[in-house]
Amino acid sequence: MSNFSVGFRTSGSVQILDLHGELDAHTAAELEAAIQKCQQENQVRILINGSDLLYISSAGLGVFMAYIEEVRESGGDIKIAALQAKVFNVFDLLGFPMLFDIMESEEEAVEKFSEAKAE
Amino acid sequence: MAEYSLETKPSKSLRKRLTERGPMVLYGILFAACLAVGIGFHFQQWSSQVPLSTTLFLLYSAVTTVGFGSLWLFLRRYYRLRQDSPAKTLWSLLITGFILISLAAITSRIGRIDAPGLDLGLGFDLNTGIALTFPTIVKMVVISVLLILFAFLLLNRFQGLVLVKRSKTSQRNWNVMLFSMTLTAALTLMNTPGAGQSQWQNMALAVSVVFMVVNSFRLSWIVFLSFKEKLATIGLCLVFATFLILAFGIAQFSSDLFVIGGSGFLQHFFVPLATFVEQASLFGILYCSTAFLSLLFHLPTSGDYEQRAGERATMHSLAHLVGQVFDAETLFATIASAPVEAGSADASWLVMPDPSSGSLRHHVVSSHNISPDRISELVDSALLVDEMTAQGDPLIIREAPADHRLNVRPGDQMGSLLVVPLIARDELIGALFASKAVVSGFERDDVETISIFAAQASVAIDNARLFEQQVEKERLARELSIAREVQRKLLPQSVPQLPGLSMAASSISAQEVGGDYYDFVQLENDRYGVIIGDVSGKGTSAAFYMAEMQGIFQSVSRLAATPSIFLHHANMALAQTLDRNVFISAIYMIVDLKNETLDIARAGHCPAAAVRLSGESRFLRTKGLGLGLDRGDLFLKSLEEERINLEPGDVFVLYTDGVVESRNPEGEEFGYDRLLVTIDENRHEDADGIHSAVLSDLKNFMGNEVYDDDMTLVVLKWHGLPLEALSPPVQSMEESK
Repeated sequence: MSNFSVGFRTSGSVQILDLHGELDAHTAAELEAAIQKCQQENQVRILINGSDLLYISSAGLGVFMAYIEEVRESGGDIKIAALQAKVFNVFDLLGFPMLFDIMESEEEAVEKFSEAKAE
Repeated sequence: MAEYSLETKPSKSLRKRLTERGPMVLYGILFAACLAVGIGFHFQQWSSQVPLSTTLFLLYSAVTTVGFGSLWLFLRRYYRLRQDSPAKTLWSLLITGFILISLAAITSRIGRIDAPGLDLGLGFDLNTGIALTFPTIVKMVVISVLLILFAFLLLNRFQGLVLVKRSKTSQRNWNVMLFSMTLTAALTLMNTPGAGQSQWQNMALAVSVVFMVVNSFRLSWIVFLSFKEKLATIGLCLVFATFLILAFGIAQFSSDLFVIGGSGFLQHFFVPLATFVEQASLFGILYCSTAFLSLLFHLPTSGDYEQRAGERATMHSLAHLVGQVFDAETLFATIASAPVEAGSADASWLVMPDPSSGSLRHHVVSSHNISPDRISELVDSALLVDEMTAQGDPLIIREAPADHRLNVRPGDQMGSLLVVPLIARDELIGALFASKAVVSGFERDDVETISIFAAQASVAIDNARLFEQQVEKERLARELSIAREVQRKLLPQSVPQLPGLSMAASSISAQEVGGDYYDFVQLENDRYGVIIGDVSGKGTSAAFYMAEMQGIFQSVSRLAATPSIFLHHANMALAQTLDRNVFISAIYMIVDLKNETLDIARAGHCPAAAVRLSGESRFLRTKGLGLGLDRGDLFLKSLEEERINLEPGDVFVLYTDGVVESRNPEGEEFGYDRLLVTIDENRHEDADGIHSAVLSDLKNFMGNEVYDDDMTLVVLKWHGLPLEALSPPVQSMEESK
């Protein structure tokens, strides 16, 4: 059941987390740990790449809510990119696009980060 | 004599006695009869002063053999079931023997003329061997019977000792000895009294002596004697052996010390019996001697043996005791004290890791005869446990003051130390320490005894833990079932019956309690509120927020004019209590029966499905954030509301994500489309019909899969108001289908 993993990559100053598999109540802790690790390393420009994320439950969404405030306070952001349609629908139903930058592609999101930096 | 005594017995009980001891009585009668006949032969011989013819002699031999055979069987039967202690056996045999030999000795002295320098013999004709006087016959018979009786008794009683812890071999050896003794005796049948034995007879005797020696080493009973019993038995054996030597002499060197001419009388009575008695006494002497020597050798180790046995017995009973204790404190104390209680150690203590403090380091949980502070002063228990684990065997420190791992100095009352592991289900759960004031205090069997105890103690600890866990598990299950009951009561107990509107609802939790919520409320002016909510996550925490949601709904809904206002208030109220990672999705609908409208607002929830009579179907996907996602203005700003003018046949289905995300065995989700199709296909049914159609479709789809999310389904169907509004529930317009 717990076929979930997080891959770490960087693109410039952006920390990219590649999510694989299904993010639910059981696997949410893994994403939490990943985000905490980014925070500890002061990598607060976090980009979630969801191209391999097959499923997300409400508990999985909760992880983003739990850290967004802290990350933004420390000058960073969590942006989400390349979600599959079905997964995006879950984000969309709850109104996440109003709270997060959810981009179609990773490049767009990285660009958005550099725009923010330029400001 | 025997016949006479038998006749005097009350005839009433004779039958009873005969049936009870029938064979014994028979043997008794047979013996007495044969003896009487035998005496008859001797009398005839005496009166005629002519030796018996060969035929008559053989007849006499047969009669005597049968007679004493009966006596043998009589005694065998009598002692068959006796279970006396070795000391008692020897003692009673000694007493009986003394009485019998004394009687024989007295008899041998009656009517004896002691003329100095004149050997009158025993009163038998030196040439023919025939008794010279009748009293000689009587003397001969009495002495012979007494001696034979004693020999028989001796063999029968010793049989009980020889065959303690009997095996097939020991039983066989005993029987072979008896057989060879009888054979040796039989070979002397034609010997004249007082004559030496032939080569063949000596060889046969040698064979029986070999088996006597073999049987003499059957001394298992010695092991079971206590020190005192051993001492007593040594004395008995010595006295008995001496008595036998004096009474019978060894081999042919008969002694006249007690019974004057005992052997001679016997030989004149019946030579084979004399040989047999000789052999029996020889065996008695042999057996007593080996027993005496063996006891003597066992004596010094006896104390040790007893101490060990005592320690083991104590350990065993303690091990049994610890199996009965389920209270951890008492159990640890019992285990820690066991080596001291059993006398195997001067101080002992039990170390275990403390899981409640999260520490895997072993520390003292209970000690005996030494304080925990003193222990930590002298010994680093955790270090020694690690060493013991590394070597995989009990750790023995022979000289504690000289060991660098310990902080022990001479005079600390800790000379040697033993550490044995407590292992339950292949896992080290602790260690038992035992110390002795002397150096090299622990021998191999100490280690064994304490290790065996430790193994049993481990099982006891493990059992106590399992028991505790079981109790805790049952308590939790009970709590959860109470929580489930409470939560069930938070959901509507029935669906309101409204004119023109049929409704059906259900909720299933994946666990005992869940985060799904639905409810109905009657507002003013024929307006009704319907809510569905889903707390993120599952289980207990979700259930608490669900209860909070219920409270908010019941108190705020009547004050809120529109769904948006209600959701806004709810969001504000929840913002105070919701964890940052928790949110609630909800849909709130207000149905106005009079104006035939439905207002709906969606706070992040799965969109309601709406299907019209015509088959036109859609999801009511108004904008709106989940409750708790934004705690400021954004929530209200984002919230859209939609008003629908109700048309007869309109179906609205509210559900939680558990419904659309349910999967079949192939991992495929039920999905929105399938849901909409099912509703559409059943849109002519009333709310109940649609509700059960969706559930059964879902069930068919899922197959054997289990629900792994909470699942709630609420169905509304507007049938249209009849002309006389607000009359009792009306049959729908589905007749039109």
